[in-house]
Amino acid sequence: MNQDQIDEYIAGSMSEADAQAFEEYCLANPEFARQVEYEQRLKSGLAQVARGSTAEFVRSESPLRWNLAAAAGILIAIFAVFYAWTVGGRAPSTILAAVVDGAPAGDTSMRLALVRGSDSIPTLPDGLVRVEIVGLFEAGNLYSVALDRREQNQNDTVATLNDQQPSSPMSLDVLIDGKQLRSGSYSLRVRKQASGEEALDFGFEIP
Amino acid sequence: MDFIPGGELSRRIRDGDTSAESELIRQFEPGLRVLLRRRTGGDYGLLQDLVQETLLIVIQRLRGDGIDDPQKLAAFAAQTARNLAIASLRKAERQRTDVDSEATERNADPARGVDRIASDLEAGLAVRALLRELPQARDRLMLKRYYLEDHDKDLICQELDLSEAAFNQALSRARRRFRQIIEERGFAKRDLLSLGL
Repeated sequence: MNQDQIDEYIAGSMSEADAQAFEEYCLANPEFARQVEYEQRLKSGLAQVARGSTAEFVRSESPLRWNLAAAAGILIAIFAVFYAWTVGGRAPSTILAAVVDGAPAGDTSMRLALVRGSDSIPTLPDGLVRVEIVGLFEAGNLYSVALDRREQNQNDTVATLNDQQPSSPMSLDVLIDGKQLRSGSYSLRVRKQASGEEALDFGFEIP
Repeated sequence: MDFIPGGELSRRIRDGDTSAESELIRQFEPGLRVLLRRRTGGDYGLLQDLVQETLLIVIQRLRGDGIDDPQKLAAFAAQTARNLAIASLRKAERQRTDVDSEATERNADPARGVDRIASDLEAGLAVRALLRELPQARDRLMLKRYYLEDHDKDLICQELDLSEAAFNQALSRARRRFRQIIEERGFAKRDLLSLGL
């Protein structure tokens, strides 16, 4: 495979049969696939910038723009400090706990997975529940887990756990004490720490 | 890193070797991202969901019944990803067909907001940083015409008064720098701000 074929694939000018062969080559050659993905992302990034304003491609530097950016930066810093003080400083809750050696095993267990097209929402059993979150987790990475209560299109974070290690490449376990939660809709948001990745959102209900 | 053939990965996963599952994820994830990027129309959230779903299906299949020809594990994973992308597209089409027309009129352009949220923001930031670094407007226009307007190389060279060698050099430099920016994740506050402004 060469640069011309990458260009053809990205431009969408390759035949479907050739594109499928190209994709299978990518699956068998991860480093080549990374190179292709950078090109796809370059195109996607250019499209994002062009959607804003084509002036981005021809503009010169503007001091006013940086002054505005500096002012906004100060506001964001103030907000971040305020947020860390009010939210980040809360005492850890026992509603949500890590699964560690010597900790209670839980009265019951529940498995949460993202199933595309599923309409049913799982129900949290009574008592202390060991919840197995099924997803793809990278060994050696730490994950944060947030328990949110959903109310009228609004999410309120009830408890958070940081620095969690997955128990296998496909699961991460936590304990939830359902006795301390009111009935309603909840979600567990799992996010890889120190990454820009979006959180995975696992919904459940307490009757 | 060494590439482990599909047959060996399949056997080890069937035997309960979790390190082989991690290896499968490491090997296949980049290729699946390429394949699904092409089929998810810039919806970054959907891309991530489908990559995960594909890998889960493949691993669960290998843990259970296995596949007919383990040597063709990459082809099996690719076809699984394509099927999921098609199913997802069909579901989205059905939802569009079922939509209440009055509600649609009330929300003049609902896709715009969703698209903005779901797009690969990091790539947008890296491109902004790259464009700021490129010394000549000619280089920035070259990227736009080549990647977004799908202009032919010869035409771009003619319009921008570039030799083919200069075009290739500038393009290769921009690609290299873009990758470097993403890898370093060296975004300054002004980059994050410029996205919101």
